Amino acid sequence: MRVQDEFSLIDIEIMWSRMISIADEMWSTLFKTAVSTVIGAAQDFGCEILDTSGGSLAHSNRSMPVFNVVMPTVVRAVLNRFPVADMQPGDVYVTNDPWLCAGHLDDIAIVTPVFYRGSIVAFTMSVAHASSIGGSLTSRTVRDIYEEGLRIPLVKLYDAGELNETAFAFIGENVRTPDMVLTDVEAQLTANGVGARRIEAFLEEYRLSNLDTLAETVQRRSEGAMRRAIETVPDGVYRHEVWADGIDDPVRLRCRVTVDGDHINVDYSGSDPQQIRGGINCTMTYTRGHTVYPLKCLLSPTIPANEGTYRPITAHAPKGTVLNCVPPASVGSRTHIGWHVHELLFGALEPVLPRRVQAGNGFLHYVYVYGEQEDKTFYNSHFFVAGGRGAGKGRDGIGRNGFPSSARNVPVEVFELRTPVLVRRRALQPNSGGAGRWRGACGQLLEFGVLPGYPRPVSLYFDPDRLRTPAPGFAGGEDGLLFQIAIDGRVLSFEEIASGQFTLSSPADLIQVQVPGGGGYGPKEQRDPELIAEDERWVAPPPNER
Amino acid sequence: MPATAPQSDLATAGRYVMSIDVGGTFTDFVLFDTASGEVVGFHKLLTDPQQPARPVITGWRDLLTRAEASVPRTVYDAVHSTTLITNAIVERRGAKTVLLTTGGFRDVLEIGTEQMYDIFDLFAPYPPPLIPRSLRWEVNERVTRDGVVLEELDEHEVRALLPHMAAEGVESVAVSLLHAYRNPDHEHEVEEIIASAFPGMAVSLSSRAAPLVGEYERTSTVAADAYVKPLVRRYVSSLVEELRDLGFDRPLSMVLSSGGITTAQAAMEYPIRLLESGPAAGAFAAGFYGRLTGHDDVLSLDMGGTTAKACLVEGGTPAVTHMLEVDRVHRFKPGSGLPIMVPTIDLIEIGAGGGSIAHINPLGLVNVGPQSAGADPGPACYARGGEQPTVTDANLLLGYLDPAYFLGGRMSLDPELAERAIKERIARPLGISATEAAWGIYAIVNENMAQAARTHIIERNRDPRDLVLVAFGGAGPAHALPVAQILGISTVVVPLGAGVASATGALTAPISLPFARSYMTLLDGCDWSAVDRLFEEMGREALAALHGSDDSPSDVQFRKAVDLRFAGQYHELRIDISPDIRAASAAGQIESDFRERYAEVYGRVPSGLRVEALNWHLVAELPRRTLTLLSRSVQSVDHRTALKGKREVYFAEPEPGRRPGTLRVSVYDRYRLQPGMAFDGPCIVEEREATVVVPPGSRVSIDEYCNVVLEVGN
Repeated sequence: MRVQDEFSLIDIEIMWSRMISIADEMWSTLFKTAVSTVIGAAQDFGCEILDTSGGSLAHSNRSMPVFNVVMPTVVRAVLNRFPVADMQPGDVYVTNDPWLCAGHLDDIAIVTPVFYRGSIVAFTMSVAHASSIGGSLTSRTVRDIYEEGLRIPLVKLYDAGELNETAFAFIGENVRTPDMVLTDVEAQLTANGVGARRIEAFLEEYRLSNLDTLAETVQRRSEGAMRRAIETVPDGVYRHEVWADGIDDPVRLRCRVTVDGDHINVDYSGSDPQQIRGGINCTMTYTRGHTVYPLKCLLSPTIPANEGTYRPITAHAPKGTVLNCVPPASVGSRTHIGWHVHELLFGALEPVLPRRVQAGNGFLHYVYVYGEQEDKTFYNSHFFVAGGRGAGKGRDGIGRNGFPSSARNVPVEVFELRTPVLVRRRALQPNSGGAGRWRGACGQLLEFGVLPGYPRPVSLYFDPDRLRTPAPGFAGGEDGLLFQIAIDGRVLSFEEIASGQFTLSSPADLIQVQVPGGGGYGPKEQRDPELIAEDERWVAPPPNER
Repeated sequence: MPATAPQSDLATAGRYVMSIDVGGTFTDFVLFDTASGEVVGFHKLLTDPQQPARPVITGWRDLLTRAEASVPRTVYDAVHSTTLITNAIVERRGAKTVLLTTGGFRDVLEIGTEQMYDIFDLFAPYPPPLIPRSLRWEVNERVTRDGVVLEELDEHEVRALLPHMAAEGVESVAVSLLHAYRNPDHEHEVEEIIASAFPGMAVSLSSRAAPLVGEYERTSTVAADAYVKPLVRRYVSSLVEELRDLGFDRPLSMVLSSGGITTAQAAMEYPIRLLESGPAAGAFAAGFYGRLTGHDDVLSLDMGGTTAKACLVEGGTPAVTHMLEVDRVHRFKPGSGLPIMVPTIDLIEIGAGGGSIAHINPLGLVNVGPQSAGADPGPACYARGGEQPTVTDANLLLGYLDPAYFLGGRMSLDPELAERAIKERIARPLGISATEAAWGIYAIVNENMAQAARTHIIERNRDPRDLVLVAFGGAGPAHALPVAQILGISTVVVPLGAGVASATGALTAPISLPFARSYMTLLDGCDWSAVDRLFEEMGREALAALHGSDDSPSDVQFRKAVDLRFAGQYHELRIDISPDIRAASAAGQIESDFRERYAEVYGRVPSGLRVEALNWHLVAELPRRTLTLLSRSVQSVDHRTALKGKREVYFAEPEPGRRPGTLRVSVYDRYRLQPGMAFDGPCIVEEREATVVVPPGSRVSIDEYCNVVLEVGN
């Protein structure tokens, strides 16, 4: 019999790893049972186990990083709304409220209380990007959240095991792909259920009655690691400013990072007001996610994250700004601001952490392809493709990933199986990363059109970033190449892309997309000649094109 | 195959089975006598990375001489496992290989999945692609998602590339065209053009190596297959030839990554299926010794010269997965390697072997591995020009190894060279003693193995403390106890012949050939006669492939399975199909089995979704060879009869509460230890190929099969 409040170091390590692996199993369950491309292929979702007060206990290693940080807010809202005393086994809660959860309506949160011997011992939770949430098909033109689709208030999806038909009906009637969305919701329920069963088995095996001591122990350890890491950063106030594309005018972001002993406060005062058009506003929950995540990467990258990790960090943004928007602001494309917070914070801390920060990233981009088949059914698929990452001091940018998203790309073959599109090229684009002593990773070229012989027009939606603000180089390194769309060889202007909406009606139409490269680090004149020779070999065309 | 061949057959069929395991550092041998059902000899030689067949021949001869079985034809079967293929990939020693892709897609191999595998590491690296960009060429052609040819293959363009292949000295070509899993015609045409121009050129097609949707994983698999094919062909054909010169003219069997056994001829066609051949044999060894000692669930720890492999073996048999990653470049993290889509024993590989190099990292901390000194130059103490300090050098300095009794005295180690390497590269820069540095190397490599093993076990929902550790490989027994201590494991089994146990494992692996065909269809619209045809086709191929092996086809057992999912999902469950009934009559059963299995795995089954079939599998099996070991009666014998000497050995806690330091401990001769003997650590148990290090507080006992069984102290 193990005494509950006296875990040995071996106990803690094993039990902690076990919690993470349960979250990982939830993750792979959701991944394997979902049917949309955005979840089943691109993996735009996250899974977490939370303690009885809504604190994060463990998240899947493969979760979308920002989802990990926002999940506690949702569970705390559940606890506020639905007192623990009234909860019953078989209850499940749902919401997609951007102010509570992941910052836009597309991400649906499902929360399942876990009961053991009659008491609640934890919550299992998943947040996943729905393949459709209704609303406008051109999120770049919307003016408020009502145009962005279905808003699901925090409600019970199941009541003591009884399905809430009204909620399901509301969701089904308001999205474009009801079967796909509801099957993915089913996948989330399945994942939460697997997590719950594993937690029950865990408690049984270790003869514990609850997870409280374990949660408190691991949270304390992660918090301690973060505080010790912050202490190594010189105290001071670090300021920085960056610009993001915006929809009408470019948007300015400002930060003031105060490092004080073992605590960091980030104040975004001075950032631009919330924007009317285009859904680029961040809710405070989302902003906080993109504040603590990059700081964790810089300061404590190897310690498993939970509630404790983020306690030593506070974030503030004045209400009504683009980083703390208020309803009815549109928020659909909030990554266009949120992802820029990384280069904002990295830029601020570059003077004191030059070896850890990273120049600007090319980001993850997508094309959304949709339309009606001849039998009137709706098809759709997201096609994810990543830009290059920024360089660091001593290191070229790492190609091949979509930071700060943990999604994977969609295989061309899968994309073609799901949509009547033919991809003609998907290639790395030489010299698209920012030059520097260490260069940014290169971006990509993508070319596609309608599948020849397909009788109907195909609709495309782009929501690009870095159309006019490239991934910034650091310390004298150059910026990466911008995002570009060309149709049949003609490059479109910023205004022409404004709506993001295109229709391909002729098989001859060819869309070419240039996905941005990452920023360089240090002056390019200082690049090692051997590395330059290597760069040149890499760029050389194959023999049949020479 | 009977465990014991009938006497009358011995004159013609021979009585011995030879098992050979070629690792990165050592080549191991086990000779099994089917007449007595006994292992009659073990052997171990250094691997020759340049000519790996050479030590195989030498060892084969040595062992037969030693077993007084010098009549060459008395060996009637030989089984071969190896890590040569993994090592060739990790060390990038494969052939100069060209990748041909559909126009516009030469970078697929380098783009990968674009996924962060460590969400908190801003610079987590990826392995460089096996085929550099300058050798990734494109051909114009296009097949659609339905397998329809949209654009014919431009044959002129393929032909125009031929002179460039010759000029570049290309030895192998990987072909990966879009949607080739659906329609492989263009890949076949490319193959024909290349074969007619260069009959000797190795060609690998994605539609054969991994006929699956998803261009990156399929391309990665075929690139790796092509990359190692010339090397495997050269090695296997020269080996077969030299064995024939020795008088062995029977077909050579090889262990696949999936743990099954196939002919050398079949193995050369798809060498990538041999990727984890050696480790798979090792996992079977752990299962065998686990069952022998009454433990169904064991942790297999196989630590060789280059890497360590950990594998959870439940119910005596290791599990098989359908994808593995090779060359994980970032602390062996999932996602940091090259994906290979072939059936593989589910194990984890760690860059921790006797040859693992210790170095000081930029943060001033000691790191061990994953780089290895291999066999050449090897650890500094081998005195073959190696200057880097390795785990073996540390073990020597700590007194764990006897410099005069390495490989039973056939190789001597130089402690001064070991000390110099550790002093210069680790101790002096850190301002500590050479012994302290050696202890650090030993402790760190143990921690690395324990961490990786723990993750592997926990991900499979097991608690390491419920398992027994079976430790083997040349270095395993020297590290097993501290690893068990970290994991909280209380019993360790070190089999007799631990240093060559993988080779023993290969003797217990079943003859098993996996086949697969893609036929995507909704189950309720399935053309079952087409399914029957697929199975018949695979069955014929299986019989043809097994024909080379001696066993009569009547013994062949077929297992059938199909990958099913709910329509729209991206992932499948593999469901067994009864081999006796024709598929059409099994349809209802298949669907209900799928739903049942789905409920078991995921807990809930969605309603209203149709079931979709993807890949159809056939496994042809011949029964497992029964390996028996003679058991001896347990007697109470004084263990001091096995004492061969004493030496100074370093321990973390030589006495309770005492600081690290040396103790003078007994050294026992493994071959003189008798069943029933039992004694306390600290001590050392030496056999020719491995050394067991027993710290204070642990207890040794010898079981009826002469296995060393250790009770782990705290």
